[in-house]
Amino acid sequence: MFDDVIFWSLAMLAVAAGVMVFRFDSMARATYALLLSLLCVGGEVLLLGLDYLGVVIVLMMTIEMAIMAVFMVMYMMNPAGLMPMTMIHNKRGAAVICAVVFAALAAGILLTPWPARRGRASADPTMDLGMSLMGPQMLTMMTLGLALFATIVVTVVLATRRGRYDRFGDDLKARTADDPVRGGVGR
Amino acid sequence: MPENAPVWAIVVLPVALAVAAVVTAGFDAVLSGAAGRGHAGGIRRAGRRAATPVREALRLLVQQPRRTTAADRLLGRLGVVLVPVAAVLAGAVLPWGFRAVSDPSVGVVWFNAMEALAWAAVWLAGWGPNSALSLISGYRFLAQGLAYELPHMFALTTAALGAESLRVGDVVAAQEGVWFVVWMPVAFAAYLLSALAMAFWGPFAHPLARDAAGGAAAELAGVDRLVFLGGRWLLLVVTAGFSVPLFLGGGHGPLLPGWAWTLLKTAAVLALLVILRRALPVLRMERYMEAAWMVLVPLTLLQALFVAVVVLNR
Amino acid sequence: MDLRAFLRRTAMSRPAVLVVTLPGATRLRLEVEAELRRREWPVVGAPAAADLLVVCGDPAAQGAWPEWLDDIERSMPEPAARAVMGESARVGGALDAGRGEVTGRAVAPRGDGGRHEDRAAPSGDGHHRPADHAEHMDHAEHMDHHASHMDHQDHSPGGHMDHTGHMDHAGHDMHAMADIAGLPMAERADDRDELRLDRLHVPIGPGLTDWPTGLILRLALQGDVVQGVEVDHLPVPPAHRPPFWDEPWLRAARGEEVTRGGAARRRCAAHLDSAGRLLAVVGWDDVAAPFRRLRDELLAGASRTEVAGEVHRTVRRVGRSRVLRWSIAGLGRLPADTARAAGVSGPALAATGDAYDRLLMWLGEIERGLEVLDDTRPLAPDDRTGPRGRLDGPRPPSQALLDVLPDLLTGVEFACARIVVASLDPDLDELALAPVTGAAHA
Repeated sequence: MFDDVIFWSLAMLAVAAGVMVFRFDSMARATYALLLSLLCVGGEVLLLGLDYLGVVIVLMMTIEMAIMAVFMVMYMMNPAGLMPMTMIHNKRGAAVICAVVFAALAAGILLTPWPARRGRASADPTMDLGMSLMGPQMLTMMTLGLALFATIVVTVVLATRRGRYDRFGDDLKARTADDPVRGGVGR
Repeated sequence: MPENAPVWAIVVLPVALAVAAVVTAGFDAVLSGAAGRGHAGGIRRAGRRAATPVREALRLLVQQPRRTTAADRLLGRLGVVLVPVAAVLAGAVLPWGFRAVSDPSVGVVWFNAMEALAWAAVWLAGWGPNSALSLISGYRFLAQGLAYELPHMFALTTAALGAESLRVGDVVAAQEGVWFVVWMPVAFAAYLLSALAMAFWGPFAHPLARDAAGGAAAELAGVDRLVFLGGRWLLLVVTAGFSVPLFLGGGHGPLLPGWAWTLLKTAAVLALLVILRRALPVLRMERYMEAAWMVLVPLTLLQALFVAVVVLNR
Repeated sequence: MDLRAFLRRTAMSRPAVLVVTLPGATRLRLEVEAELRRREWPVVGAPAAADLLVVCGDPAAQGAWPEWLDDIERSMPEPAARAVMGESARVGGALDAGRGEVTGRAVAPRGDGGRHEDRAAPSGDGHHRPADHAEHMDHAEHMDHHASHMDHQDHSPGGHMDHTGHMDHAGHDMHAMADIAGLPMAERADDRDELRLDRLHVPIGPGLTDWPTGLILRLALQGDVVQGVEVDHLPVPPAHRPPFWDEPWLRAARGEEVTRGGAARRRCAAHLDSAGRLLAVVGWDDVAAPFRRLRDELLAGASRTEVAGEVHRTVRRVGRSRVLRWSIAGLGRLPADTARAAGVSGPALAATGDAYDRLLMWLGEIERGLEVLDDTRPLAPDDRTGPRGRLDGPRPPSQALLDVLPDLLTGVEFACARIVVASLDPDLDELALAPVTGAAHA
């Protein structure tokens, strides 16, 4: 009963905050409405007994949204959302896509023949979830992780305008790098 | 095995943290007073300096909060309130002796998640008042977050790895013999550094620095200012206090009961931080960022590797 | 007296003070700082944190009453008061009167319809004089309204989409609007990676703490990167006395009797003041505070034996700090030939390096100055090298320091810009110097 109350309050709050993402006319508010929505989702996951996943969602989403807020407003220097802007773009198309996706997901939920529980809930669902997701495929997962990370690094390297020749001169002999802002290690 | 504290501990926790914060701030005020105005030369004067935080709090309560033109008050307020709230929520997994208000199976991650709320809080507080300098300072904290968070996470991970559990109680239990600080000194040092950074205090006070007229707090007055700056002291107490169960053996120690050891060790860590802070200027993030990523991250990773190898072989 | 009034009175027994100094009032500033330290009143750096605004100097000498002072006062939270230290005011009495006003207001707050409300409603009154809206911002920049919040100039939705891809302005009619709530918006310009991003015009000074008195920098900021600098300053009224820090040399030039010890004392105090500011900006209050205390002791006539020990100790502490060196080395590099070409003389030229070298140069001169503190021989009348450089040059030394600022500040980050300014520490009182030197020559 108590769980139901929490579940529904978090669910309603998550949806309402999600709607507000598109109603606010300030980038910062939209971002933090999205964060609120995601924190509620984290709460729902906690409710499922997946402590680790739930808390990690809270942790990662907070950091991600904080950084995203910066990317969104980065160098848009009107503090406090002075320049209102709408978060909606291509309204009609977006509405159609959303409606279709929502209908498909809802139909999926309602129409799937969910299996009845066999046996008892496990003592440590996080561990079991991890084992069933990754257990037999640990090598695949590790490789995937490395590949993703390498992709990130490579993308940044390719996107950087200045290379080592700009920083250390054509013969790479400069003792200190010619950077607009000097770092703390003195490379 | 640690157990959960009684329900009334929920009420006691914020009060205890606040008292600890006032005492720490008082100690800091005495040391600052000695540097700025010469030695107190007398218990009475030292006592008056130690009471500075209380007097300041009273002054801020009398001062009225103010609003700035075209401010985003909702977000600004949220940022201000979030700082003490995050500190108290993080404090919920802090064991007092061997009991915490709550000891969830993922306590270490919970602690980190609550600290991460400070990321949002400081940026929001800087963004809210619609002022260029406080906005710049809000951004500064995010840069600081990017610099300290990875070494911090690796330090937390190392301690959890040593105990093979994310439960704070298990981490404490695993240190019954040897404290983690003995075989994880790098992780401990990285943790202390990031604890200061997280509380944006001392050498990591750049987001509130004087050069930006008080930074993210530049536009806060009255009770807003009290909540924000007071929350910062709470964060400092909680992050410093958490190093005790993580690395300093929690309540373990001879003769004295667990709660007394926790208290002693926490006081020692706080005193160390307050004293060491005097030796350092504020670190600017463009310098610290590179040092953190080029030096601290590899060091903490090596530390984690060492601990992992030890754990696998025992 | 009821409890509430008692608490309010107690709370404001040590009001937080924001000190704003006008050009020509260095002596007053030093007196006020010493007095505040003696009283242990908190000194704050922003109007929002202050209860009492202390103005050192005579605002009327600025020509028109400076509106920015009113803005600062308006942006202070209730209870707030202002204490103006006129040229001859007794500092202690003025501070007491200021505190009296603050406690009075705290005990009997003005009605809800007071200042507080009218500044809270941004456009309720319909008139949009920028000053009315600016209070809030300025605090930080303490200076002019227009600027602080900047804006957007290019409001075309297309422009915005280029940069963010997915958002456009609510109601595309926005671009007709030059400002919001009376505040100008940011414009856009290329950043250092040639991305077109918002650029905000922020004036900083003259109400900042640890900032050269009267200096105003009009910055164009992208993020916290300074993309453009315009150097400006408050009007420096022609003074009837020579600039405080240059006084011994100018008096000697005029033929008055000045001892070498007296001049060395002033030079040490000037460098302690500058170094104290720089260290405060760097965020190392623990050494900045003793520097200021020692400065005041020196000026009060402390003998060499009284101060030398602590000066050497503190100077050594600063000189030995690797973290400080790591933190500010490389900022504001000013090679000797650039400096000489700009007319810089004194420590900034001799240091031929960055902010850290200039700090070391100050520290070195302080230690050397202590050696001759008790020298009673008269200062040679042709010794015109003041704390900031040669006073007999074509221009006052601080003018040269101001001239090199734009080059040093462009492209650096805000925090570095503050450090660079503090490491040069121009003394704007010297700008009124030209006629005085002329007289001396005559």
